[in-house]
Amino acid sequence: MTHLLAADKVSKYFGNVIALKDISAHLDAGEVLCILGDNGAGKSTLIKILSGVHQPDAGRLLVDGEEARFGSPREARAAGIATVYQDLAMVPLMSVWRNFFLGAEPTRGAPPVRYLDVRTARQEARRHLMAMGIDIRDPDQPVGTLSGGERQAVAISRAVYFGARVLILDEPTSALGVKASGIVLRNVVRAREHGAGVVFITHNPHHAYPVGDRFVILNRGQTLGTYAKREIDQQELVRLMAGGAELAELQHELEQISG
Amino acid sequence: MAQVAESGLARDERLARVGLAARLFQRPEIGSMVGVVAVFFLFLWAAGAKFAELDGFALWTDEASNVGIMAVPVALLMIAGEFDLSAGVMTGSAGLLFAYLVTRPDLNVWPAILLVLLFGLTIGFINGMLVMKTRLPSFIVTLGTFFSLAGLNAGLTRRATGSVYIPDVDTASGFRSAHRFLGSTFTTYAFPDRVIWWIVITVVATWVLARTRFGNWIFAVGGDATAARNVGVPVLRTKIALFMTTSTMASLLGIMIALQIRSAQADQGIGNEFVYIIAAVVGGCLLTGGYGSAVGASIGALIMGMITVGIPFAGWNSDYQRLFLGVILLLAVMLNTLIRWAAARSRA
Amino acid sequence: MTEHEQVEWEAIEEDETGLSRRELFVKGGLLTAGAAFLGSPVAAARAAAKSPAAAEASSTFAVVTHGAGDAFWAVVKKGVLKAGKDLGVKVNYSESFNNPQKQAQLIGTAVARKPGGLVVSAPNPSALKDPLRRARRAGVPIITINSGVQAFKSLGAITHVGQTETIAGRGAGQKLKAAGGKKLLVIIHEQGNIGLEQRYSGAKSGFGGKTSRLQVKGVSDISTTTNQIKTKLRADRSIDAILALNPQVGVAAKDAAASANSKAKIATFDLSSDVIKAIQRGQMLFAVDQQQFEQGYLPIVFLYLYRYNLNTVGGGQPVLTGPGYVEKGNASKVAAYARRGTR
Repeated sequence: MTHLLAADKVSKYFGNVIALKDISAHLDAGEVLCILGDNGAGKSTLIKILSGVHQPDAGRLLVDGEEARFGSPREARAAGIATVYQDLAMVPLMSVWRNFFLGAEPTRGAPPVRYLDVRTARQEARRHLMAMGIDIRDPDQPVGTLSGGERQAVAISRAVYFGARVLILDEPTSALGVKASGIVLRNVVRAREHGAGVVFITHNPHHAYPVGDRFVILNRGQTLGTYAKREIDQQELVRLMAGGAELAELQHELEQISG
Repeated sequence: MAQVAESGLARDERLARVGLAARLFQRPEIGSMVGVVAVFFLFLWAAGAKFAELDGFALWTDEASNVGIMAVPVALLMIAGEFDLSAGVMTGSAGLLFAYLVTRPDLNVWPAILLVLLFGLTIGFINGMLVMKTRLPSFIVTLGTFFSLAGLNAGLTRRATGSVYIPDVDTASGFRSAHRFLGSTFTTYAFPDRVIWWIVITVVATWVLARTRFGNWIFAVGGDATAARNVGVPVLRTKIALFMTTSTMASLLGIMIALQIRSAQADQGIGNEFVYIIAAVVGGCLLTGGYGSAVGASIGALIMGMITVGIPFAGWNSDYQRLFLGVILLLAVMLNTLIRWAAARSRA
Repeated sequence: MTEHEQVEWEAIEEDETGLSRRELFVKGGLLTAGAAFLGSPVAAARAAAKSPAAAEASSTFAVVTHGAGDAFWAVVKKGVLKAGKDLGVKVNYSESFNNPQKQAQLIGTAVARKPGGLVVSAPNPSALKDPLRRARRAGVPIITINSGVQAFKSLGAITHVGQTETIAGRGAGQKLKAAGGKKLLVIIHEQGNIGLEQRYSGAKSGFGGKTSRLQVKGVSDISTTTNQIKTKLRADRSIDAILALNPQVGVAAKDAAASANSKAKIATFDLSSDVIKAIQRGQMLFAVDQQQFEQGYLPIVFLYLYRYNLNTVGGGQPVLTGPGYVEKGNASKVAAYARRGTR
């Protein structure tokens, strides 16, 4: 069976530091794959490989079952893999519609008088955001005036709009409060409903569990296993992620301090 | 669902229309617009009606165009998050090269203009590549180009002519036709050609900023270069293009000045780089990039023109001209900040 | 003669004969209405010429120099103001800080205010061609001062008031040679000032011996300038004559020579009270004095004469104000005038 995106025994070394070792995972359309791990587990190295920033030193990436090598983020994007970075997805001083179409602006006319189709851009941006459940009062509003959750949501909607088949979300909820995280998680589900495959990177199992279909747990550059949702419950996910023994030890220590 | 969205759209359109006045107050150039009206009436009061009559008008628009032709590209570059401190001295380098070409190898004026514009493109390309490839702040890199060019201007002029200026530009072939379009005046009120160029440059820059992809990229690379790169904006190409535009415009202005004063002097343009930046900042450009307008920069230039001409016109002591510029700069920037703050608050 | 000038002339006549005409009107008493009726066009013209605005504008003489706010030009400005006061005419003085484009613009501004006459320094004559042509077209008489002796005719000026830089430079060079100098250092304090270049080449030809130039920061930064001169003197011990082209730079050269233990003979262009003191003490050999007060005073007098009586001065030749030399012998006499800022 061919998957939308698959990593096959991918490894990455920085000098003699092993960042990733033999990571395998796969993603299908209309599915959310959560990659969980603590800081330094290798999450960001993995997404950088998936999005074309880094190239794997061993192993291969497969897109629709065929091997792919991305020399740059642009090549990954061309293959339909869009990455939404934590804080680096939007230009705060620019309006919502300008951000929405940034880098892929609709134009009319022929050069040298090719100009922006502002009307279309404005309407399309608002219509699509509305369809994704984001009610922007005014598409001319600077993105900087949106809340953090709304900002992430606009970035996700944009990626979906531009036909991303794979959406990589790098810690989209890490800097957000409960309510804003809710907005983003709802968008993750919407993106999945639109048929995109979502790679959701997080260190928060409570955010991952409700939206995820499958979970990959990373620890020190290696997988601790891949689980489908029915194979695992939230507690177990938390326990695995922190490394079960260590958490038990921590619990013991805390009890002693408070006792 | 779709129906709900449609009706939502319609309602919001109406809301936006009501907020038109509020939207005006969100424009970057609003502070400078208030400033230009204030300065105009100040000099109308101090210098009398002559200030507003056509020959007075021709004088301060002349000076305004002298600043504005450069303030506009400098503003675009600032919106993209970069500075060009070599912009002032570049007018001198271009003027000298032009004067040299038409008087020593006796080149016709028109091919000389082409060569000088090519020279401008080259210097801009070098500036841009140095900034982008070294990842040093453009403030430092172009300061380097500034001093290099200033030294070359002095050294090469003396070497080539044994003097510090190149006279007799008006003896060159083709001078008359070029002078008419680039360095002369029209009507009996001595209205300078340059003003037309300035207006055209402002209009084109405004259109580019607001209505083209490139304009969108200018805002993006200045607002957040990493975010822009992440969505596929060619950051390198955008910034280098703007550096090239700036130094090419400086070359154009240098040619105009050489045609106007029929000569070129080795120290021409030194110190003007800050005048351009001041005009852009008065016009609402943020020093940190990502925000500003071409119209604002031109209004900033207009204010500078009014002050430069208005002070001797009013018979005031011109020793205080810089004090005046300093106060205007501070007031305009404070006003800009205040308005932006108020606009942001009304949004929330 | 242009229309503009004719109106001016009537304005001046008006001043001369005003009293008698007023008497006539008073005597005429009841006839006033009739006279006004009969002579209405004439009366209207008189009224226009007599209107305060026109009278004020016509009696203003504008002076636009390339000066840079330094001590030298301050003396010129004093000359301008004194002449204005002595003759009872309004004067307006402005400086372009050695920027030809700016000077052209200042001339444009002056002409727009319709002056009775225009005084300009012309270090870069080509730059002033267009604005001075407009001045002539507006009927404004022109006199050039200080720089531009070779071009005053082509610029359409009545005459030129100044010294010829090359001759002054040659004189200074000859005097330094006579004082025993073998190797001369000329200090250039402004990049791009043509007058300084002419002084340099004059000094070089007058001196005959080895002559070199030193470009310094200038009057805006005297401490750096002093350091630059000191460094040069330390590096080249054989320099035994220094010519500065500005009094402040001359004093800087004197200080630099003292701290570098150089025995070089120092001379400067132009005076200041510090320069005169140094000459009295024997720290400086001489100063080339172009008596720039006259360059401010005389053109106002000449323009006044031209306006009043269509008199010209110079007979197509420039009026020379220098070079004079201030040396130990005459320094104490000049000192008093320098102290009040007119020498």
